[in-house]
Formats: sequence, C-alpha cells, structure tokens
Amino acid sequence: MEAAYALIGYGLAAIGPGIGIGLIAGNAVQAMARQPEAAGMVRTTMFLGIAFTEALALIGFVLFFLV
Amino acid sequence: MITAAETCDFINEVVCKPANVKELFEFTNFAGTQISRTEILILLAALIPVVLVYFGLRKKLSVPGKLQSVVESIFTFIKDEIALGVIGRGGEKFTPYLVSIFLFILVGNLFEVAPFINFPVTSRMALPLFLSLLTYLIFVFVGIKEQGFGYISHLVWPPGVPVALKPLVGIIELVSVLLVRPFSLAVRLFANLVAGHVMLSLLLASAYFFIVQPGVNEYIISKAPVGIAWFVLGLGIYGFELIVSILQAYIFTLLSAVYIQTSLHPEH
Repeated sequence: MEAAYALIGYGLAAIGPGIGIGLIAGNAVQAMARQPEAAGMVRTTMFLGIAFTEALALIGFVLFFLV
Repeated sequence: MITAAETCDFINEVVCKPANVKELFEFTNFAGTQISRTEILILLAALIPVVLVYFGLRKKLSVPGKLQSVVESIFTFIKDEIALGVIGRGGEKFTPYLVSIFLFILVGNLFEVAPFINFPVTSRMALPLFLSLLTYLIFVFVGIKEQGFGYISHLVWPPGVPVALKPLVGIIELVSVLLVRPFSLAVRLFANLVAGHVMLSLLLASAYFFIVQPGVNEYIISKAPVGIAWFVLGLGIYGFELIVSILQAYIFTLLSAVYIQTSLHPEH
C-alpha cells in the first residue's frame, strides 16, 4: 500500500517539472527559430533550465525509493 | 540484462527482482574475492579516457588522424563552450578538471548501452555523490579564495535585497547553495541512469521472457509477437538511453562550470 502511495506521489511530483520542461523547450525552439545565430547560447541556457527544473522531479523519484 | 535474467529461478519465481531495493546502493563481491564488478568498471571508466587521450595526442600532427581529431574536438568543445563560454575570464585553468569529469562520466554512462556490460557505474549512488562533492569542494574553495570571508557572508546576508527580506533570502540562498546544489547534482545523474537502466532491463527482459520463454513446459508460439513488440520498443529506448548518457555527462560538466562561475564572478 505504501508503495502505491509512493507511486502516486511520484506521479504528482512529475506534473510540475513536465509543464516546466515543456515551456522551456518550447520557448527555446521559438528563440532559436527567430534568431538562429544565437542558437548555441540558447541551447546552453535551455539545458541549464531543464536541469534545474528536473531537480524537482528527481527529488520525487528519490522519495519514491525511500518509502 | 539477459545474463542477469538467466540467474533467476523461473520455475519457482514468477517475477525475478532484487529482494530489497537497497541492493541498488550496496556493493556485492565476486565469490571469494574482495573485488566487485562495480569496482572493475570504475577502474575501466578511469583507464579508458586516459588511454584514449594518450593515444589521441601522442603524435601531435598538424593534420590530425581520426582518433586525434575526436579527442581534440571533445577538448576544444569543453574548453570553448563550457570553460570559456560559461566560466568566462579565468576559466582556462578549470579545463583539465572539466574534461576529466566529462570523459569519466561519459564512459561510465556509456557502459549502460555497451553490449555485454549493460551496467552504468554512475547508477551506484557512491560515484555521483563523490563527483558532486568534488565539484562542491572546488566551488566553495574558489569562492573563499576569490572573495574571502565575503563569500559566506554574501550568502547569509545577500547584498542588493531589501533589509526586511534579507534573513529569509539569506536562509534560502544558504540552503540552496550549500545543501541542494551538491545533492541535486548527484541525484540528477544517479536517478537518470537508474531510471534508464531499470526501463531497459524491464523491456528487454520482457522481450526475452515472451520470445524464449525460459522454464515453461510447452512453448506457446502466439506469445512471440508480443515479445517482438517489446523488443522493438526496447531498442528504441536503447537509442534514447545513448542520448541520455551523453547528455547527462554534458549537463554534469555544464553545471559544475556554472557553480564554479557563480563563486568566481559573484557580480553576475
């Protein structure tokens, strides 16, 4: 039963980062399409933003293991 | 994966899984020795980049050969994009560290998709934690060296924030820089690799069970197409995991550089 709760918890923890990563990647694609010469900088910043957003989902993942 | 699956007792067990999830965090030895498979793979992950770089840069030809151009392009990419691009002024001296951790993590990650190994060493929590603590020590040391005691005091009492908010922002900054940063750096690498490894194991082991059907008395041919579907999906995820391995090594290096940059140039 606890494992089921942990699964639901991880699912909930993945919603926010999912929306966030979608926003980041979508806006990065828009920025790259508007200004292709800035693509390198945008890509680096995009990966950084994704990495920071992903941390929330990963904390949920670890909690899933801990329970 | 399949070698792991073959050690199971299919006749008595329906599901073959580790008895305890804590096995992921433990080191098991080979029978009779004090050496585990993880340790050998860690040694390999340290040796392969050394050999690669040694043979790549042994003869410094002006028209590089195949190996030399690969090694040089990795080196130039990290130097230009990460060391100089992210850290900026004073970033050259961190290039050796960044190249080392990038190659080490890359080889460690690529063990996940290497045939007959299929085990990423970075999915043992000890290794990412050690690497992130190394980065942690470096950026705290650089911060104290560059800014003196101001590094800590700027964290606790941040400048440029209204006085009423300073204690709150100070606590958030302190926790996020000194606790969350190394933790999330380690957990990101660990969790990505564990998730990928578990997913690959599940898909390919399902394919194996459905196609080969070990331990059953009569072979049911109608199960094989299901197994083939699992196998195709598993191969797709295999390619995806290849990208994830390279991307995670890149992200670890990039974030290390960003953390060093924030303590080297606090004005940004």
